[in-house]
Amino acid sequence: MDKDRRANFLRKLHSFAGVFPLGIFLCFHMCVNYSANWGTAPYDTMGSFMAHMPYKVVLETFVIFLPLLFHALYGVYISLTSSVTVQRYRYFRNWCYVLQRIAGIVTLLFVVWHIYGTKLQVELTGVDPSYAMVAGIVATPIGLALFAIGLFCSIYHFCNGLWTFLITWGITVSPRSQKISGYVLFALFIAFAAFGLKALFAFVG
Amino acid sequence: MDTETAVHDPIRLIIKRQEGPDAKPRWEEFSVAYQPHMNVVSALMEIRKNPVNAQGKPTTPVVWESVCLEEVCGACTMIINGTPRQACSALIDDLKQPIRLEPLTKFPLVRDLKVDRTLLFDALKKTHAWIDIDGPFDLGPGPRMSAHTQSWAYELSRCMTCGCCFEACPNTGHANKFVGPAAISQVRLFNAHPTGKLNKQERLRSIMGADGITSCGNAQNCVRVCPKDIPLTTSIAQMNRDTTVQSIRNVFGSDA
Amino acid sequence: MGKGSIAVVGGGLAGLMATLKIVEAGLSVDLFSLVPFKRSHSACAQGGINAALNTKGEGDSVEEHFDDTIYGGDFLANQPQVRAMCEAAPKIVNMFDRMGVMFNRTPEGLLDLRRFGGTQKRRTAFAGATTGQQLLYALDEQARALEVEGKVRTYVGWEFVSTIIHNGVCCGITAQDLSSMEIRAFPADAVIVATGGCGAVFGKSTNSTINTGYAAARCYQQGALYANGEFIQIHPTAIPGFDKNRLMSESARGEGGRVWTYKDGKPWYFLEERYPAYGNLVPRDIATREIFDVCVNQHLGINGENVVYLDVSHIPASVLNAKLEGILDIYQKFVGDDPRKVPMRVAPSVHYSMGGLWVGLDQQTSIPGLFAAGECDYTQHGANRLGANSLLSAVFAGMTAGPNAAAYAKGLPEGQNIPQSVYEKAAAKDESDYQGILQLDGTENAYRLHQEMGELMTKNVTVVRNNADLAETLVKLEEIDERLSRIGVQDKATWSNANVPFVRQLHGMVDLAKVITKGALERNESRGSHFKPEFPDRNDEEWLKTTIARYDAASHSPVLSYEEVDTSLITPRKRDYTKAH
Repeated sequence: MDKDRRANFLRKLHSFAGVFPLGIFLCFHMCVNYSANWGTAPYDTMGSFMAHMPYKVVLETFVIFLPLLFHALYGVYISLTSSVTVQRYRYFRNWCYVLQRIAGIVTLLFVVWHIYGTKLQVELTGVDPSYAMVAGIVATPIGLALFAIGLFCSIYHFCNGLWTFLITWGITVSPRSQKISGYVLFALFIAFAAFGLKALFAFVG
Repeated sequence: MDTETAVHDPIRLIIKRQEGPDAKPRWEEFSVAYQPHMNVVSALMEIRKNPVNAQGKPTTPVVWESVCLEEVCGACTMIINGTPRQACSALIDDLKQPIRLEPLTKFPLVRDLKVDRTLLFDALKKTHAWIDIDGPFDLGPGPRMSAHTQSWAYELSRCMTCGCCFEACPNTGHANKFVGPAAISQVRLFNAHPTGKLNKQERLRSIMGADGITSCGNAQNCVRVCPKDIPLTTSIAQMNRDTTVQSIRNVFGSDA
Repeated sequence: MGKGSIAVVGGGLAGLMATLKIVEAGLSVDLFSLVPFKRSHSACAQGGINAALNTKGEGDSVEEHFDDTIYGGDFLANQPQVRAMCEAAPKIVNMFDRMGVMFNRTPEGLLDLRRFGGTQKRRTAFAGATTGQQLLYALDEQARALEVEGKVRTYVGWEFVSTIIHNGVCCGITAQDLSSMEIRAFPADAVIVATGGCGAVFGKSTNSTINTGYAAARCYQQGALYANGEFIQIHPTAIPGFDKNRLMSESARGEGGRVWTYKDGKPWYFLEERYPAYGNLVPRDIATREIFDVCVNQHLGINGENVVYLDVSHIPASVLNAKLEGILDIYQKFVGDDPRKVPMRVAPSVHYSMGGLWVGLDQQTSIPGLFAAGECDYTQHGANRLGANSLLSAVFAGMTAGPNAAAYAKGLPEGQNIPQSVYEKAAAKDESDYQGILQLDGTENAYRLHQEMGELMTKNVTVVRNNADLAETLVKLEEIDERLSRIGVQDKATWSNANVPFVRQLHGMVDLAKVITKGALERNESRGSHFKPEFPDRNDEEWLKTTIARYDAASHSPVLSYEEVDTSLITPRKRDYTKAH
């Protein structure tokens, strides 16, 4: 594949990876989080299942880390090569475009911090991920706030990304279909945000 | 009309002047007598009839491009109060004063408000934006076309290559090579034509490179600033679909 | 044969068509244009292109198109080439159809046709209300394809300065890059000038800012004959503007638009009343004079101004949007009212020059090797042009000039070598003229002088012409000519200087103004667009002849002579639009 074609392929792959598997994983992860609402024990059971899944390393590497690394690094490259024009063009979609890039970078920082605080601890200390571990992180107001910001950004990045995904793959073509997908995904954003917050506050006090 | 002229304040314009591509830009203010129904072009015309700035100092006439003055040629595109648009259809009465005029920023500057938009025409070369005919001789009528296809394709064919969409796109210029919305829309136009379809793959391939359609970030500024209301984002989405299908065909092999 | 390349000046319909035909003939082209081709004035043509396609079951024919054109032009056009144009018209429209022009369609996918002025058949193919733009784009695209193939070299942003004439034969041009201001000589086996009309002579017109007529004027100054200059079409329906008058296409009337004003408090459809056979679709010269009469003589203009109503508000909005959207948008954008709801205020405006460089059947001017095509030539329209014939004549002229120029080039004697010094001298001469203008330090402002001349010409040499006014205009034009040397050029920059080329153009405009005015003064009759109340009738005995202007360098003035009109195919008859002809 020549350089020209490769760039096109990488762009498409970037879009694809954002949904499959990363978007799917995000949904799955949020469902796991939600189990904290049912109490400490169910959450810990989930956590321990995740920690001892068969072929865990293979799955984590190929379904999560490699796609994540690619999506993140290529995403940073895209962000750095696009310009911020909302001062001049104050259109809703242009704001979404800028926020998508900001949210992407914030999400990346959040994920790094999140992995350091949970996943890495699990691997280094050998303990299973637990309710107590997360509760410890969100116990301080700063920790809680950072978690909430990270949560919002990743959900926005996912929902708005899904809207552009539908265009990038030629699924929503007409202005009407793009409008409808916009409404549907906005509703999804609200629902996810509420769902995520509820899960988050299950770890507080 | 006379009384109106007498009581009306003069028009204030602040124009970004630049002697040449390497010269330092500066802002110069002008004051032009108001007349009803004036547009930005007529204000610029008044300035060259009396090239004196607002401070009363003689200056050079402002250099800008204009041809049709009916918003059909695209020549007089510039940034007016922050928005790229044609100076002929920018009516003074609708603009907040002082009116700020700047050259387009995504193209090499020539002088004052004049820029070199060759790259837009080069994009049309790259995307094979024409119908391949055997020659300009008589071969009888062209293929039939439904009135429906004509009606939407006509909208696309009104693109005057003015550069507004290219200017407003956050993915063009500077570090990027993005071919821009207009050229992609032209691919859709020519691929919709019964004869143009015969070279469909070639055109699609031309926008499947590093500077092609995947550089679009869906900010959708293009469709908002297009003076001809061309459905640029619809064209881009449709070409996303067609290039996706084309990629699949390329991978799995097909003669279509 | 020489170097095998032809210089085409002008990137509008005529120039591009000529280019395509030259490449077809196997030669290459140096194509010069002030502006990117897509910005040429052809883009402004709105209504459509005439061709007797006869797809409406009305029994239309080439003969009828030919007769309408000759009759509309008041029998002043040489008939054989008009016949050839009408014959070529359906083929031309079909060619554009193949090039992908988005013509409006009938329900079965064929080209739709509409009615235009001066005809009773539906004969006009159209693409919305931007047909000129669409045809221009099609040729622009084809030329781009040829450029990619390396058969056409383009010089966009270069202005034609002079023809280069050696031993009485045109062998190239000089041109100036309007950014670097470099003047260069370009050798060519033949030159085609396709530079459009000269509306700027009248200051404000429906023309584009680039339609100064400079190139044609320069050829005339260099010895090419100029024909029928006095025939200037005044379009009846334009939107008066501060910077220009914007055209409101005849297609508005073709689709059922009605012209009226108030009389005794009631709408008065004066065209329909006076011309029952053609109604609102009388030829332009007639509609213009009627509007002029209603406004100026009868003082019945709307609100006392010299405007009348053009009304399409009774036509369903869906029909208007499908067929006239482009022009109605222009009105709404520049005036602020929605013509779908309220009548449009329109007035006559200078629109088209029927006259132009004299050319023979092969589109060659009186200088061998120099061809002219399009509005800058004089061939097709006689004393008045019918609507939707201009796109046709531009394309047809290019289609004729291209192959003839190619044939001429191929016929040049083998090994004919023009000394390099001829080109060097030509470039040096134009360079020194350019430097001369750059140094001008007088008190006159070129743009104000232009405005003054435009107002003078518009007042005295448009709709109604009186000999006393014309004579006075000639005197004033001499004064303006003299004042040209007292111009002060404020901009001394040697990069992208717009001031200097304008002064050069203004010299050309003044010379054309003299040709137009003198031709009008001498022609003591009324014919087509040329109307003199002192001589209200057409006078075939004395004036069925072509005016030929030759430039006298000593006096900067035209010397007029006359040439027989070829009326071999249709015998001239009285033009009367009150009934079908």
